[in-house]
Amino acid sequence: MPADKTAILADIDAMLRAVLGDFGTDLEISAASAFRDDLGMESLDVVSLAGRLQARYGEDVNFAQFLAGLDVSSMTELRVGQLVDYVAESLGPVSATS
Amino acid sequence: MNLLDVNGVALHVAEITAGGTRGPDAPTAVLVHGMAGDSMASWYLTLAHPLAERGMRVLLHDLRGHGRSDAPAHGYALDDFVNDLEGLLAAWGVTGPVHLFGNSFGGTIAFGYALRHPYRVAAITAIDSAPPTAAWFARMGRRLGQAGKLTGAGRHPVFARRLRDVQRLLTETTLATELPASRLPDPVAFESVTCPVLCLYGGDSPLRDLAAETERLLPQTRTVVLEGAGHTVLVDRAADVRGHVTAWLDDLTTSLIGAQEGRTHG
Repeated sequence: MPADKTAILADIDAMLRAVLGDFGTDLEISAASAFRDDLGMESLDVVSLAGRLQARYGEDVNFAQFLAGLDVSSMTELRVGQLVDYVAESLGPVSATS
Repeated sequence: MNLLDVNGVALHVAEITAGGTRGPDAPTAVLVHGMAGDSMASWYLTLAHPLAERGMRVLLHDLRGHGRSDAPAHGYALDDFVNDLEGLLAAWGVTGPVHLFGNSFGGTIAFGYALRHPYRVAAITAIDSAPPTAAWFARMGRRLGQAGKLTGAGRHPVFARRLRDVQRLLTETTLATELPASRLPDPVAFESVTCPVLCLYGGDSPLRDLAAETERLLPQTRTVVLEGAGHTVLVDRAADVRGHVTAWLDDLTTSLIGAQEGRTHG
């Protein structure tokens, strides 16, 4: 079973609202939301998100490795859907072949 | 969010636990960010994880008045920032020589710590930075004055938010007057700092002018210039900075092993 992306999106939505605090209250968050331009996230918010991802998913999701593949400017252009895809990929080895 | 109370100020700290295997005597790296507008994020998102993957224990903090740390009304001279670094190392239980990495003013804090404790520093990596000298502190004073006059109008909301944080720091604390008036070390004191030093500059950064004085004070310094980069070279050219720092750390390890073998065979 592939990991359920809807559930992951809901998880990440909650983490983002917690990270953004008052800034996040009225935000519309979807897979298409860009971290910087739509959510107004600054780099320290990305650090907080990293902490929450690790607390939620542990070593299965290597956010550091994901981040290392991006430079800082493309990180600010990152969209929520890309993170959801990465988490799904890390959590759920798709077992369609077996 | 992890906070440590140091010198009466709650400081936001982080330790990178992911990464390679780490022995009990793994080297410790402490990453120090820059002045006004910077935070641990610029290290966290660039070099922190690659250093952890080399097997280092990687520790970060937001300076007082910055990021998610508290901003007391007073206490922003160089000595206050060095006191915080001292206090954090004690709180973290770091006793052995530490690798200090500093971005901009963070490098100045690293040099300040090395002047107090030359034998507790394994190496200093300074990114577009300078040791505590009169020329550098005069320049910082002018820059802090200019930052107070910038406007966020018409800029990206994220930039405007960061600018508001900087202006709050400059208007609600005494940083802008205290920091340029910091007590500075006697230039002769630099003779005690013998650890390896890497200074990396952006080719277009105004701080590059300070390289000659740094090399005079600390002749062991290896200087690297990344052409086409400005003051924010760590963030703007993260992959290049990583490459240079990694190569330098590899050289240090090799020469250390060489020196140890030399002793054994001698």
